[in-house]
Amino acid sequence: MSIYLNNAATSWPKAPGVPEAVSAALQAPPSDGRRQGGRADDCLEQCRCRIAHLLGVPDADRVVLTSGATEALNLAVWGVPLTHGSRVVTTVAEHNSVLRPLYHRSRPLRCRVTHVAVSPDGELDTSGFERALADGADLVAVTHVSNVTGRAMPVSELFRASKAAGAVTLLDASQSLGHLDVRPDELGADLVAFTGHKGLGGPQGTGGLYVAPYLELAQIRVGGTGVRSELLAHPQEMPLRLEAGTPNTPGLAGLAQALQWHEFEGVAARGRVADRCAALRQGLSELPGVRLLGAGTSPAGIVSFTVEGWPVEDVGQVLLESFGVTGRTGLHCAPLIHGPLGCAPWGTVRLSAGPFTTEDEVAAAVSAVGSIAVCA
Amino acid sequence: MRIVGTERLEDCFDGSSAYSYCFNGRWTRTDILALDALGQVDYYPGFPRPFFRVRGREGWVVKGVEGEDNCHAVFPGRGAEEGKQRFEAQFGDDAEG
Repeated sequence: MSIYLNNAATSWPKAPGVPEAVSAALQAPPSDGRRQGGRADDCLEQCRCRIAHLLGVPDADRVVLTSGATEALNLAVWGVPLTHGSRVVTTVAEHNSVLRPLYHRSRPLRCRVTHVAVSPDGELDTSGFERALADGADLVAVTHVSNVTGRAMPVSELFRASKAAGAVTLLDASQSLGHLDVRPDELGADLVAFTGHKGLGGPQGTGGLYVAPYLELAQIRVGGTGVRSELLAHPQEMPLRLEAGTPNTPGLAGLAQALQWHEFEGVAARGRVADRCAALRQGLSELPGVRLLGAGTSPAGIVSFTVEGWPVEDVGQVLLESFGVTGRTGLHCAPLIHGPLGCAPWGTVRLSAGPFTTEDEVAAAVSAVGSIAVCA
Repeated sequence: MRIVGTERLEDCFDGSSAYSYCFNGRWTRTDILALDALGQVDYYPGFPRPFFRVRGREGWVVKGVEGEDNCHAVFPGRGAEEGKQRFEAQFGDDAEG
């Protein structure tokens, strides 16, 4: 028996047709529409247009394609104008792909970085957030959905206050795109970083960054673009301004397929993820000795918990090796949230459902955790 | 049971050192229960593939699954090397069993 409940790390199985699209791209003679004068069927431009459609933004050229959310977040954090003493506001719920770029960017500039806390059930301290903005802010970076608790942040409210404080707003949509509506205009997000391999069901190594049309990021990476090669200076027009080097065409062909599938099946997929997550959470909540982290059903299918008397690492190992259930244990690359949640320093066991997780798989996983819990 | 391969895993953030060991045979119930000579054995025969954990007196922890030919060991920061040597001596060429 093999049950995959680690979709918050990377989705599996991929959206229908994705492996075939990647394979076809690898087996066909390489072509790059941009470099060959632009073609409507170019998978890069398909990706760009489908992502723009998903985000509800009119100009697909504001979508920069990257190797994933980490690169997108680096482009954003290093591209936003910050100066000595700038103020940055973020939360303890952030992933290291936000925390580390912020740390490295802000340290030499002696920026004041505030990490707003969460309550023991993972709710953001919105009063603390407002206090952090009191002296103004230059950059606010917030995750849409915590990858530990699965809880969605009140992004519209946070970004409305952030913009009033003068900040550029950066949304980490790694755990939300595909699971929730991510509309930059409605959320007040100037920048949206996302990955292709989680909620969208695409291949690893794909993702992107949406940049609002009124915002120009500094270039942190320059190089070949396949066009305007006579210039020593990197092109300034979007999206080339922030893209350099040979793109991951096979991966983006897969992502284009995933996006196409999502356009037709996305609503139903969201419903299945929510149903499985609710069942998982309900089942685990009935087990003695199991402590659930966060509150309510996660839109991203995430359930985090600890088991009394068991190190989280051992729970993960037993689930995998004794019961065939793949989850994830530890800090989940989000080290700051575990203190407020009361599960530092070891973190949590995290199970995360996907659109193809079955009811039987959820029941088997709950049963497995129950078998472990009674052995404490 | 003898160790035939050792791999250093990523260091733990609490300063412990983690290793993966490969053995020349697969863990049986008898092998697992015999580990009580080294420390406290937690054995879970009710699991589909029984899990075991040994907490050594020096603070190290060894974990594995019955039927597998490997296990993981974590040695605490202080005295890690001595604990590792003591554990490995139990499964070295001169060891009994």
